[in-house]
Amino acid sequence: MGKKSILIIPERCTGCRACQVACKQWNDLPARKTSFTGSFNSPTDLTSVNFNRINFTEVPSEKDPIRWLFVSQRCMHCTDAGCMKICSTPGALTRNEEGAVVTDHEKCSGCHLCIAGCPFNVPRYGKDGKLAKCTMCADRIPKGMAPACVHTCPPQALTFGDRDELIASARKMGYPVIYGQMDLGGLGTMIAFKDAPSLYGFADKPHINQAIIFWHKFLKPASWLGIGGMTALMALHYFGIGPKTEKEEPEEEKCLCQVPVPTKEEGKHETQ
Amino acid sequence: MKLNNHDLLTKETSSSILNHWVLAISCLLLCLSGVGFLFKVQAIGSLFGGFPMMRDIHNWLGVVFAISLLLSLGNWLKECITFGYNDIEWCLAAGGYLGKLWKKKAPPMHKLNTGQKAFYLCLLIFGFGIILSGAGIWLMPNHQAVMVWSVIIHNICFILIGIFLPIHIYLSTLGNPGTLQIMTSGTVPVWWARKKSQQWVEEVEEGRSH
Repeated sequence: MGKKSILIIPERCTGCRACQVACKQWNDLPARKTSFTGSFNSPTDLTSVNFNRINFTEVPSEKDPIRWLFVSQRCMHCTDAGCMKICSTPGALTRNEEGAVVTDHEKCSGCHLCIAGCPFNVPRYGKDGKLAKCTMCADRIPKGMAPACVHTCPPQALTFGDRDELIASARKMGYPVIYGQMDLGGLGTMIAFKDAPSLYGFADKPHINQAIIFWHKFLKPASWLGIGGMTALMALHYFGIGPKTEKEEPEEEKCLCQVPVPTKEEGKHETQ
Repeated sequence: MKLNNHDLLTKETSSSILNHWVLAISCLLLCLSGVGFLFKVQAIGSLFGGFPMMRDIHNWLGVVFAISLLLSLGNWLKECITFGYNDIEWCLAAGGYLGKLWKKKAPPMHKLNTGQKAFYLCLLIFGFGIILSGAGIWLMPNHQAVMVWSVIIHNICFILIGIFLPIHIYLSTLGNPGTLQIMTSGTVPVWWARKKSQQWVEEVEEGRSH
């Protein structure tokens, strides 16, 4: 099966938040009380029960007093996924055939490392201490269905399909290069921004923390080299040079009498 | 007091032997489970009852390791920060371990030789480094900068301990027959101690040490 992606077209988004509702419904996520913080954002951030949300930003504009931008925010399903690099548990984060980064609630050991690995600040942990995030509806897409959020989106600001076809359709709509087409090996969630991504609250050039890459590329292999190389050297010493076996030098005079007679060796020490 | 060749000298007390083995076993189990996490080895995870369980075991073994490393200060720190001219000679002779390749002989040493002292000091420095960074990973999971730097420091300390550990294990067992009993019975025969720790034996004979 080819690689599937979600394409977000912020120009079409009306900010209705139906995607948030559909996500909650399909993933059986509980409602959580929010509070008014002076902006239209609700909830104000992704949580362990909000796998997606609309981010509302207000930016100054030359023509109008203000421009109000909406964009859907969720896991970006990176090809070069920082969370998968840093994850300490096999099977907790896997890539499915459609290219989505999928979580396994049972296997997650709750180490929180994926938070540090993610360039988009997506992973959230629930009260049970396990990772919870968007899986691109990994229980829908293998059956040929679109993710719940895409399926429900009234203005079709969210579209789903074959990755290459989505890129081609975006090009036809007048977006030469879309956000996520190349970044991090290609994102599974692409966004057709008309303006700088930073206006919408996205990093212009998303990247994995350099320290994490250094750790993954150099420190991990060095861990084998250190302990393995030294063990090999020790084996080489054992078979090549041989152990340092001490032999007991015979005492020259056996001490049979009452008065101890210093051996030659002992006598030597006294004069030192 | 003159010592006979087959007299036994007490090199380690029962409390320091216990200290050593708690430290050693916790360290080895931590290394094993740590390798399990680092390379996502399913078999090691299964050995510890699954990865979520292994995480708890790894964290709490870290506490055991930290406590026994703290307690070890009283047993070995003083000896290990005492250096003399013979330590330089010992290094120049490579401890006398290179056989025909390097025929220099190791000088008379005190209770511990330069290599043993260096190993303990490494274990102290990188041990506390790995304990503190481990505490960062365990206790500050939502602080990204702490997390990233803790992971890096944790891994660097593991590499360095991993370099010294095989040397320590080899030279205290196969590489130096007779050494292991220091950490089992705690005693060594005088003739053997003269070879390895001549200065110390002399001090015992003169009644300045025990």
